[in-house]
Amino acid sequence: MSSNEELQNTNTEERFDFKKEEKSAFQTEKGLTEETVRVISEDKGEPEWMLKRRLRALEQFQEMPMPTDWPGQPDLSEVDVAEIVPYIRPDVDVRAGVDDWTELPDEIKDTFDKLGIPEAEKNALSGVGAQYESEVVYQNMQERWEEKGVIFCNMDEAVREHEEIVKEHFMTKCVPPSDNKFAALHGAVWSGGSFVYVPEDVTVEMPVQAYFRMNSEGMGQFEHTLIVAEDGAEVHYIEGCSAPKYSAFNLHCGGVEVFVGEDAHVQYSTVQNWSKNTYNLNTKRALCEADGRMEWISGSMGSKATMLYPSTVLKGPRASDNHITIAFAGEGQNIDTGAKVYHNAPETKSTIESKSISKDGGRTNYRGLVHIADGAENSSTSVECDALMFDNESTSDTMPYMEINESKVDVAHEATVGKIGDEDVFYLQSRGLDDDDAKQMIVSGFIEPITEELPIEYAVELNRLVELEMEGSLG
Amino acid sequence: MSGTQLPANLSTEMVREISERREEPEWLLEARLDALEALDDLELPDVIKTPGRRWTNLEALDFGSLVDPLNQADETERTSDEGVEVLTFAEAIEAHPDLVESSFGSTIDPTENYLTALSAALFTTGTVVYVPEGVDAEDVTVRAEMNSRSLFSHTLVIAEKSSSVTILESIESGGSTDAESRYFSNLVEIDAGENAYVQYGSLQNLAEDTYHYALKRADVGTYGTVNWIEGNLGSRLTRSDVESELEGDSAETKIVGAFFGHADQHFDVNARVWHHGENTTADLVTRGVLDDEARSVYEGVQDVGRDAWNTSSYQRENTLMLSDESEADASPKLIIHNHDTEASHSATVGQVDQEDLFYMISRSIGRTQARNMLVEGFFVPVLDEIAVDEFREDLRELIAARLR
Repeated sequence: MSSNEELQNTNTEERFDFKKEEKSAFQTEKGLTEETVRVISEDKGEPEWMLKRRLRALEQFQEMPMPTDWPGQPDLSEVDVAEIVPYIRPDVDVRAGVDDWTELPDEIKDTFDKLGIPEAEKNALSGVGAQYESEVVYQNMQERWEEKGVIFCNMDEAVREHEEIVKEHFMTKCVPPSDNKFAALHGAVWSGGSFVYVPEDVTVEMPVQAYFRMNSEGMGQFEHTLIVAEDGAEVHYIEGCSAPKYSAFNLHCGGVEVFVGEDAHVQYSTVQNWSKNTYNLNTKRALCEADGRMEWISGSMGSKATMLYPSTVLKGPRASDNHITIAFAGEGQNIDTGAKVYHNAPETKSTIESKSISKDGGRTNYRGLVHIADGAENSSTSVECDALMFDNESTSDTMPYMEINESKVDVAHEATVGKIGDEDVFYLQSRGLDDDDAKQMIVSGFIEPITEELPIEYAVELNRLVELEMEGSLG
Repeated sequence: MSGTQLPANLSTEMVREISERREEPEWLLEARLDALEALDDLELPDVIKTPGRRWTNLEALDFGSLVDPLNQADETERTSDEGVEVLTFAEAIEAHPDLVESSFGSTIDPTENYLTALSAALFTTGTVVYVPEGVDAEDVTVRAEMNSRSLFSHTLVIAEKSSSVTILESIESGGSTDAESRYFSNLVEIDAGENAYVQYGSLQNLAEDTYHYALKRADVGTYGTVNWIEGNLGSRLTRSDVESELEGDSAETKIVGAFFGHADQHFDVNARVWHHGENTTADLVTRGVLDDEARSVYEGVQDVGRDAWNTSSYQRENTLMLSDESEADASPKLIIHNHDTEASHSATVGQVDQEDLFYMISRSIGRTQARNMLVEGFFVPVLDEIAVDEFREDLRELIAARLR
């Protein structure tokens, strides 16, 4: 029986019965099954096509092997999807688990304290209730946007309210579930996230920030973000977990899809600081039409292991892409991140600027792919990686891959690794700073290319997070 | 091993015959038989994979039709300086049995991969260069001609304490064979002792029906230096790995590569260095030109170990593309475990500089001649690294001959 027939045979009544049965079984049974996926979809009241996509993604997930043979990749042997996945459908109990500030782990509470975040905001950041100030801001902004036809809402809501746009763009040509095992997993069990739609020639002047929403969903671990910027549109989206996210689960597997129309401009900024038991296995991609411009600004601070390579497909002539990434790995952390750019049209441009800091046995890796297709004449790309290391317990790798099929191009890759300059430290000490402050200042300077791209409050928070990492006081 | 065609008639008898004909000692026969036996479980050398593709398709090699173990033939001319012994492998076993036994397989494990094992089991030619303590030798040449469908070669260079030697090796094809394609395998092991200096240059200009595998690796002792020069012009497909293990403190290495591909040639060239000792220095320089539908794959690895304090490590790779149908893939890798390191790498791919071309044309140099001059100029930084005039001239001439 084909999966189509199977779906058609499942009438509503049967499915409801099914669901009741499954709900109890679901809480005890481990492993990701078709029933799990049906229950999720059912609960969300999703249209049939979305359920079909989920089930197809599930099939693909089950067919694909775990990535194991990437040179130097983080160890994922602990990631037992069979153990983790049942929990993605949060039952009331699980929600309650994060519902109370006092039940948060101390390390997370300390972090909030040290960041100087007020109590009300702490509650919001920890995933509890509404962050009322933000809500107000959100409401105000929402009205302004709505006048211009901008849509910004929760992804689950978008499936219901803006079905046609979502149906066209959701995990079809940008991040198909077949992209990788975790994209497939995401496609099967995704929940929550943001939907941003900017109509033709509309500029959203303020950055669209989404951290408060993602957290309130409580299921942010598999959130999906879909941004559609029509021709000539402009938007800056900030994925905000500028503080550690408390998570009952140890797998974060999100999906981000960005559609950059002709002459449109999208900036996507992330400052993430996952708790240090989290495996962060995300898939982020942008499709960029002629003259479109995509910018990825990412700060990866937390997690036990991260495998994340935001990618851009430059589809139309003169499309361009900039990546600025910074990774910080402390004790026990393995941050494997980079960028992927496909130059598929003439006169496309990309720049990648990657900075990493490793300390106390932490491990950072830049893994990047630049592909220049045959016919992408007069394209240029420049990749620059700088790594700063504190000790010989730490590791810093750079693994760029360049596939060049076109001769009329300009491709350059450059990477440097070094320790913190003793002379620089000495100079700052001679000006009265102590050793720690001197190093802190050097690191702040090192990451400046990122911070200057961010709105001031994010830049400040990023700096404070780095400070905390430097003190070794996180996790 | 899955997917690889073993030579149909490959057997222990055959390996015994190779060894007996050469009157080899028991240990070498055993080493050959061990390698043969290991073949079943060994994989081909790793090739770079990116989403959806393997950069070099070694699986396609049909060893069944490429390898003819009992009919290997070469003509090799060896010249040497005074004080240094340059011997055929067979002669060396006779003259220095213990030295050869202890050196064979000490830098390259014969069972490292499928191709090294095949080579260790079947090799019939090779050279042993023995430079005793304190001896300086400036001019050792090994010029080989391959005269059979397949040829397996194994070379050992033993440079004792405070010795120095410059070795030039070249390989080309002799008269054609009845086979459609040929296979040449070349393993080179260098053991450079304390304060020893070895420059090892290779020039490969095999006929373009030849598949070519080379693994060259050096162990470099304290204060030792091993400089490699690897020039690749010939062959249908070349997979070449040139590697230095900087074992001793203050050891140094330079790996200089040049390739020039045309027609549908495929070069998979790799330069790798491991910094184990303290205060070690490495410099990796590769320049390549691609024309027609030629394709290059480059991997450079700088691996700095946890105890490799005060390392300096540099890598540059530049590829010039003369044709739209060519393809240049590169992956320069830095693996750094010690923060007391100064390391950098860079890679570029591009075409002949249009402004330079315009300038020269405006000075009434014809377009083709101008382009050729720029290509020749592109190789200058690599040619400059070659200490021996004769070798530099050979490479320059081969490059010039390839330019139309």
